[in-house]
Amino acid sequence: MGGLHCEAISSNLHAEATGDTVSPAAAVWDLRLKFPEGEAFVFKDLSFSVKRGEKLLVLGPSGSGKSTLLQVLGGIVPGLVEVPMRCSGQVLPASWGMLFQDPDAQFCMPYVDEELAFVLENRGVAREEMLPRMHDVLRKVGLDLKEIHLPIGTLSQGMKQRLALASILLMDPDVLLLDEPSALLDPEGRRQIWEAVSEVAEDRTLIIVEHRIEELLDLGLVDRVALFGPSGQLLGQGAPEELFVRCRKELGEYGIWHPGVWSHFRFSAGSQIEQGESIQPGSGPFLPSAERLDRPIIELSEFRGFRGHQKVIQVERAEVYAGDFIAVTGPNGAGKSSLLLALMGLLPSEGSYLLLGERFGGKRLRKRQVQSLSKRIGFVFQNPEFQFVENRVDQEIGFSLREEGISPEEIRQRVDHALDQFGLAGLEQRHPYQLSLGQKRRLSVAGAAVLKRPVLLLDEPTFGQDAVNTFAILNLCEDLRRSGVAIVMVTHEEQIAEAVATRRWEVREGTLTDYGYTDRGTRLPHHICEAGMAEAML
Amino acid sequence: MNTWLAPSAITWMHRANPVLKLLFVIGLFFVALFTHRTDFMFYQAVLFTLLLFWQSGYSFWKVLLLVLSFGLVFISSSSTMILFGKGDVLWWEWGLFRITEESFYRGIHIGFKSVTIASEGLLFVLTTSSVDMFYALMQKIKLPPKYAYSFMASIRLLPMVWEEFLIRRNALRIRGARSLKGPRGWIAGIKMYAVPLLSQSIRRAHRVAVAMEAKAFDGNGRRTYYYPSRFSRYDPLAAAIFIAAVIAALALSDGLPLFHITDVRYSANT
Repeated sequence: MGGLHCEAISSNLHAEATGDTVSPAAAVWDLRLKFPEGEAFVFKDLSFSVKRGEKLLVLGPSGSGKSTLLQVLGGIVPGLVEVPMRCSGQVLPASWGMLFQDPDAQFCMPYVDEELAFVLENRGVAREEMLPRMHDVLRKVGLDLKEIHLPIGTLSQGMKQRLALASILLMDPDVLLLDEPSALLDPEGRRQIWEAVSEVAEDRTLIIVEHRIEELLDLGLVDRVALFGPSGQLLGQGAPEELFVRCRKELGEYGIWHPGVWSHFRFSAGSQIEQGESIQPGSGPFLPSAERLDRPIIELSEFRGFRGHQKVIQVERAEVYAGDFIAVTGPNGAGKSSLLLALMGLLPSEGSYLLLGERFGGKRLRKRQVQSLSKRIGFVFQNPEFQFVENRVDQEIGFSLREEGISPEEIRQRVDHALDQFGLAGLEQRHPYQLSLGQKRRLSVAGAAVLKRPVLLLDEPTFGQDAVNTFAILNLCEDLRRSGVAIVMVTHEEQIAEAVATRRWEVREGTLTDYGYTDRGTRLPHHICEAGMAEAML
Repeated sequence: MNTWLAPSAITWMHRANPVLKLLFVIGLFFVALFTHRTDFMFYQAVLFTLLLFWQSGYSFWKVLLLVLSFGLVFISSSSTMILFGKGDVLWWEWGLFRITEESFYRGIHIGFKSVTIASEGLLFVLTTSSVDMFYALMQKIKLPPKYAYSFMASIRLLPMVWEEFLIRRNALRIRGARSLKGPRGWIAGIKMYAVPLLSQSIRRAHRVAVAMEAKAFDGNGRRTYYYPSRFSRYDPLAAAIFIAAVIAALALSDGLPLFHITDVRYSANT
């Protein structure tokens, strides 16, 4: 990598040079940075500095270089990750620690105590001092473990992230760099990590990059917000209250989860309700006539799913009707994903499972059954990459159409339509892995939905997505729902369950509870919903 | 899964220092390698298998399951020599196959050799955790920490790869990706799994590496150790067990010889 590296100058020297009375905790002047494979500069002549003790939040759209800036400020770029960059001057923090996004990719040891010991060993701390220090940092981040020789794999994602914070605290950093630490956590985990961060924030400088900022702002932790544009330019900065009013439009555009972002979406979903559109029978291949709409597509009674010999999901009674948008909520590990896998015939089950009047399930797993179930149910996995089977976007969408034996001419038409509908036009030739996070997610939905199967199951499709992508996926699901597809979506997003879905299931400790129709579900003028309601009343 | 893999008892062999065990096991490999007396080889195989039952700390049934697989090791390593080896006293011939007395004994000799080496290796693996071993190697024979930690970090990643494999398998079943028959289907099938699993693993490994370096890990610098690696009274005990096993095998082959073959190697003048 032939890039010129910055000359790091000590903060004192720079303070003298510029006449600053208070030296910055971290700063960079006239930064130019470009990825070797990229065409444009990520940053062009950017000067940025963070005061000592300041709590700074950096916002911007995906791909605006926020994480890269964080890595430059900490010295990871170009120190540990080689990226060509140049700047006229830089202040590196005297001591810093960085919390990363992926809770599973921050640890190198199998046990909690060994992982914490790793940092202490690196710093050459004497063995006798190790245990008290470990207990001290674990208490600071609110991880009260009775026994600290505990496998990291048994912790929840939120606990792992707090453990990562604890291990960073062992380095006693002046500056904490936080790279979207709550993006892959559920709401409970998000609340806990931000509480832990605010516990340890005193006397430290915080530089936070994050998309999900509701919990963060609730704590009143941030005193300055910097907003970046799509091509790495600094659009504005200021106190949160002031900036959010001034840049409301940009925040919405860039998909930042700012407070009040859902109220906009609720409005657009509401407008569809007022149009009073009813479901179009016959637009889905498996729903030929109106009377079939009154019968449930899926009927479960006394249904139980197993992993090995252990019962992981139990459903007393549940039905799915055409045009339902069911949100499945509940804590991690409660059995939501197991429910979906059991419905696909991938887990052994007992009890009655009727799909379009046909009986499925059983103690033995059969390949044939998975095949015939997946002809009727589309499935979207949590990680899109795992479900891609083709090397090109258009072939990926057309894959299940070809398996159905549809004529090439019609396949082309339907793929073109899907490319437009899912915002993937112009990307036909790309490899699915080369797409952005949001595009991959839309492609995975497109691949599962192009056949218009009567049911679409989605496992946390909005997880880790920004607001723009989340709303795009919800709108696509809503379109499918109105065409008569039943949507069953596992989600942690309370707003989806309350305002977007028409019905709500909750899974707790392996048991499904049907909470019936949401407000939106009861307001919908669909005859199916009324029929369903009438039945529910009985 | 973890409870199944954990030993049910901690034996002397667990408490002995991994470096000492490793040196002994390597030494024992060489003893087995240069044993040409079939009786001595046979008793080594028997005694080290018994040692596995006694000192591995796993329940009888789990060890038995592993030892039964030695049968496969025995057959696969001995059969080639039995069927194709050189020899003068012909027992049976059919086409290319030619079993002679010499090749038969040499075959089972090699079978015993494989079983011996397998049980010695298994004894080491079952009584040594990877973390213990790398801590001992770093402290006792100055293995650079960058190698030790890259191994330990990658061992942590393995279960995640397995989980992702299961997810991918489910996804392919649902998508109905049919596998072709024959070698081309095989290659296509491997690609179906390798591409997503590798791309995930490479990205994760890179992130772990950056996270490790961000925690002030420099790979070679001076460091302290959370787990001290010391020699203890269990080390002479473990050494005594290993040495006693070899001496007992030698004594038994003298006192109770079954095969009466002093050198199993082929020599043309017999």
